[in-house]
This record gives sequence, structure tokens and C-alpha cells, in this order.
Amino acid sequence: MDDLFAPPGNDWRPVSPQLRRLRHLVLTGFTAVVLVALAVVSWMFALPVVWTAALAVVLLLLAGFGWWVIGRNARAWGYAERDDDLYIKHGALFRELVSVPYGRMQFVDITAGPLEQLFGIASVRLHTASPRTNARIPGLPADEAARLRDRLTELGESQAAGL
Amino acid sequence: MTDRPPQRLSPLTPLVRSFIVLVAAGTTVIRDVTRGDIGPTAALLALLLFAGGVYGAASWLRTTFWIESDELRVDTGVLSRQSRRIRIDRLQGVDIVQPFVARILGLAELRMDVAGGNAREGSLAYLPLPEARRLKDLLLARRDELGEPRRVATQTQAGPVGAQPGPVQAGPGPAADGSTEVAAPPQVAVRPAAYERPIAKVEVPTLLLSILLSGETVALVLVTVGMLVAFTASGEWLGLPAILPVLLGFGVAMFRRFSMNYGFTVSETPAGMQVRRGLFDLSSQTIALERVQGVVVSEPLFWRALGWARLDVSIAGYGTGLDNEGPAPSTVLPVGDRRTVHGLARHVLHGLDHETVALRPVPSRARWAAPVAYRFLRVGADERLVVSREGWLTRRTHAAPQARVQSLRITQGPWQRRLGLADVHTDSPPGPTTVRARHRDAAEARRLFDAEVAMTAWARRR
Repeated sequence: MDDLFAPPGNDWRPVSPQLRRLRHLVLTGFTAVVLVALAVVSWMFALPVVWTAALAVVLLLLAGFGWWVIGRNARAWGYAERDDDLYIKHGALFRELVSVPYGRMQFVDITAGPLEQLFGIASVRLHTASPRTNARIPGLPADEAARLRDRLTELGESQAAGL
Repeated sequence: MTDRPPQRLSPLTPLVRSFIVLVAAGTTVIRDVTRGDIGPTAALLALLLFAGGVYGAASWLRTTFWIESDELRVDTGVLSRQSRRIRIDRLQGVDIVQPFVARILGLAELRMDVAGGNAREGSLAYLPLPEARRLKDLLLARRDELGEPRRVATQTQAGPVGAQPGPVQAGPGPAADGSTEVAAPPQVAVRPAAYERPIAKVEVPTLLLSILLSGETVALVLVTVGMLVAFTASGEWLGLPAILPVLLGFGVAMFRRFSMNYGFTVSETPAGMQVRRGLFDLSSQTIALERVQGVVVSEPLFWRALGWARLDVSIAGYGTGLDNEGPAPSTVLPVGDRRTVHGLARHVLHGLDHETVALRPVPSRARWAAPVAYRFLRVGADERLVVSREGWLTRRTHAAPQARVQSLRITQGPWQRRLGLADVHTDSPPGPTTVRARHRDAAEARRLFDAEVAMTAWARRR
């Protein structure tokens, strides 16, 4: 980890490994569906086996690359709660570091899709008066998400700054 | 104040939301049924209606809202759950909206105007109208109760150049909407409009010349000349009828710019800065100075020779208003000499001077990331202002007070990382101002970021 995205003070808190597992599962499912579709299509149109096999290999290679990217990306997420602001960093290829002062917070959301609920994770999103503020933390364990939200709203109230 | 138990929306909500679909599907089904045979389409539609009904009911059951410890909490979502907390003291206003169908059923949508969220995000739809009214009054009363100490604080910091003690209008947005007016905090009586000091005025010749010297005009002239040359050279004038409408369009656009900015006058009033303009449609707009989030000074290439510039401002609440207002008018001076623009910018920024902030260029290796633009990228900050400049054809200087910066970001793409460069962004509320430091040296970017974090925190506390 280079200096540009060094943690402020102590260490970055990582997100749950469930995020990686969830995304890997989705990728596997998607690849499986596409492979089946490929098999069906090649059977229906009686395509040469070599073509089908080549396409399948390409697909698997892409999936493998996706697998690696997902792992890298999930490891890149991190956040740090400081006295006055929340730091979030993410991205392996396109990296971003965000600092959101608690006093600037307008509202907080917790979202959890059906799969995320199954994996016991949720994402927390902070909104400020600027739509460009990109402060989302995905893949937090559900109780940690609730804790973070409560802490954020509490700190937001005590440090509120006017527009 | 007592917290209230979780409440549900009106059970008629799914009906209102899907009214059009219901009517369309319903008529088809009924027509088929009355004809005596249920075709496959009707059966499918009926099934869809049933599924929609189940979903609507589930969605209604799973949506609750309640007020707890100064927050409005909204839980929603059938499969994908969302839990939102809106701080009541952050509400800019509350609107009651009644679409046609909702109105027939006596329902209303409650729209929370939260800075940063769009209209859909802070919305409770649908509630019975009296209930919506009651909730609106409750929310606003609670907000004023909570917000009182802070509002006083923001007032004292608003000190325009003319040192009049400020019964500054902690203003309602630009919305001419009645309910937004109600949402505004109780105002101190504003002094009669007689007190009005003109600051700047755009003369007609200046305006005309500025439009003639704009980039669009020059492009237009070049294109026309090119076309004429091509036509005379080839001896064929067939293309002319195709070109004429384009030229006409350009002409109309230029005339609109002229008529919009005709008689542009800026003056100072107790309520803030007043901007009046227009040849046919007169428009008058008051800018509450304490809501200004930043300024942009634009200097197109051909204006620079004359020492002219244009001034735009970002104003809180302008970008997020209701959709029917069109693009927010942000121009404070469409054209003026540099001194006037500079003076106005200082006035709008409460005396902060963006020209005293030292601007630094980017390292020369930035040319690999931005071959032309890198020469013109500048950034600088002091403890009150953060300023950036970019652009050659039109040089734009963005300046935002440190106390108005919402959040900070560093971004770095793969190519930038190879070059050891990074961008630093300051996020402001929607508006023309975007102060950003592009393609800085990575170490410098982090230093700038850290310094900005500290300075904005300091500025917020003042």
C-alpha cells in the first residue's frame, strides 16, 4: 500500500470477507448460466465442438480474471472512523480516498439486497449536500452496519455544521 | 418530545402508484371477460395483476416510518431492504405534492427537501392529506426547535461589504412554490426595498461585443467561411439550403443570450444581492449571500485581450430544487472588466479574495496524462479559500470557501499511478463550482488532502 492511500493514523478497517464470497458466488452463477446457454446453443445449431470448447475456455479465462479482480477489489475496501470525519478508501485499479466530516452528513442509509441478507451483510451510505460525495461502504456485517449508522448519526448531530 | 410508534403509509398507495397500469390492464381483462372468453393475454394480465397486487401489499406492509431522537426513519423494501435516517434539523423544507390520482383519493406525497438528496429520495408517498399536513407541521416545528441555535450562528457570519447589521434573510430557495415559503424559518422583517445600492451594470455595447467575441461565434464564422470557400471552389451551391437552418439556429441562440442578459443589473439589498435582467422576460433574483457555496470566474480566450470575465456562483438549494425550474440561473455577471468581476467575487465570498491565493502548477510529467491541459492546471489554498484553475480556450477559476466544502476525495487511475500523479477533489453542493486539483504529484496530493481536511474542519468550527 503506497503513501497516497495510507491510513489516517491507525489502520484501515477491512470490510467483511462475505462481500468477496458473495461476489464470487454471483460470478460463478453467472458463468455457469452462460456456459449452459453456450452448450444449448451449440447443440441446437450443431456448432463444431472446437468452437464451443474455445469459447468456453475464453469464458472461463474471463471468469478467472473476474475472480481475481473481485478478490483484489474486496481487499481494497477500508474505512477509518476518526474524531471529526470518516475516511473510506476503495478500488484496486481506479482508487479513491474519501473524507466525509460527520458534521456534513445529511442522512444515512443502510441497504441490503436479498443476497446480501443471505450473507449477513449490508452497505452503509452517507449523503452530504453534495451529490459528488461518494461515501459508501459495502459488505459490512449487519450489526456493524447498524452500529456504524448509529454512531454516524449521533456524531453528525453533535458536530452539525450549517450549509 | 415523545417518539411516535412506527406508522404505515396509506394502504391505497400501491393503487395510486400503479394506477395507469391497472386501468390499462383492467380494461383489457374486463373487455375479454365480458366478451365471454378469457384469452391467453387476459389470463397473463390477470396473473400479472395478481402478482402486482401481492407485491404492492407486501411493499405496503414492509414500509414503515417513525420519528425517533430527532430523526425521521424510513424502512422500506420487500426483498432489498433499505433503512434511511433523515436528520430533521437538516430538512430545508417540506412540500406536499398531490398528483392527479392521489388527489382523487384524498392522498398526498410528502417531499422532504434534503440537501444532497433528489426529490425521490426524501419522499413519503402516499399519506392521507390531513395526515401529511400534520406530519409536515410536526417536522417543521421540530426542525425549527432543533435548528434555532445554529441559525443564529450562520447569521452572524454573514457580513457583506456594506457593514449594515444583518437581518439577513435566511432565505427560502428560488422556488416560487407556496409550501416552500412556509417551510422557511420565521423571518425578521425585511427593510423596505428602497435600500438598494447598485453594484454593477452591463452596458449594451459591452454585451454585444462579448457575445460576438465568444467561442461559439468564432466557430460559427470559421465554419461559414470554410463552407463559402468550399462552395465557391466546387462551384456548387446545393449545400446552402442545408446550412441555412443551422446558421439560423446559431443566430437565435445568440439573440437569446442577448435578450436574456439585456439590462443586466446587480445591486445590493438588505435581503442579499439582487440580479435583474431581460429584454422580453424580465427576471429578478435575490441571492442570499450566506448561501453562496463558491464562485467561478470564466475568461474566454478573446475576452482576455480586453480584460473581461464572467462570474457565476453556486448557491445552496438551487441545484436540488423541484425539477420544473429548468437549469438554475447562476450567473451574477455575464460580462465585466476584471476589476468589477473581482470585486463582485469578493463581495459574494464575504470579502475573501481568491486572487491572493497563490496557485501552483503541476509537474511537467503531467503532460503524459493531459497533453495540452497540463499547462493550465493550477491549484492553491489558504485557510479560508481553496482555488483551482484550468482551461485554455476558456480559463476558469473556481473558488470555494473552506467552510463550505462538503467532503474531500483523492482519485487515482492506473495511468496516473504509473506517472505518480493523483487528483484531489473538493465536493460542493450542486452548482457550477467544482474546485479540483488534477494531476498533482502523488505525495503533494496527499499533503493537499490532509491540509484540506484540517483546514475545512477548522473553518467549520468557526
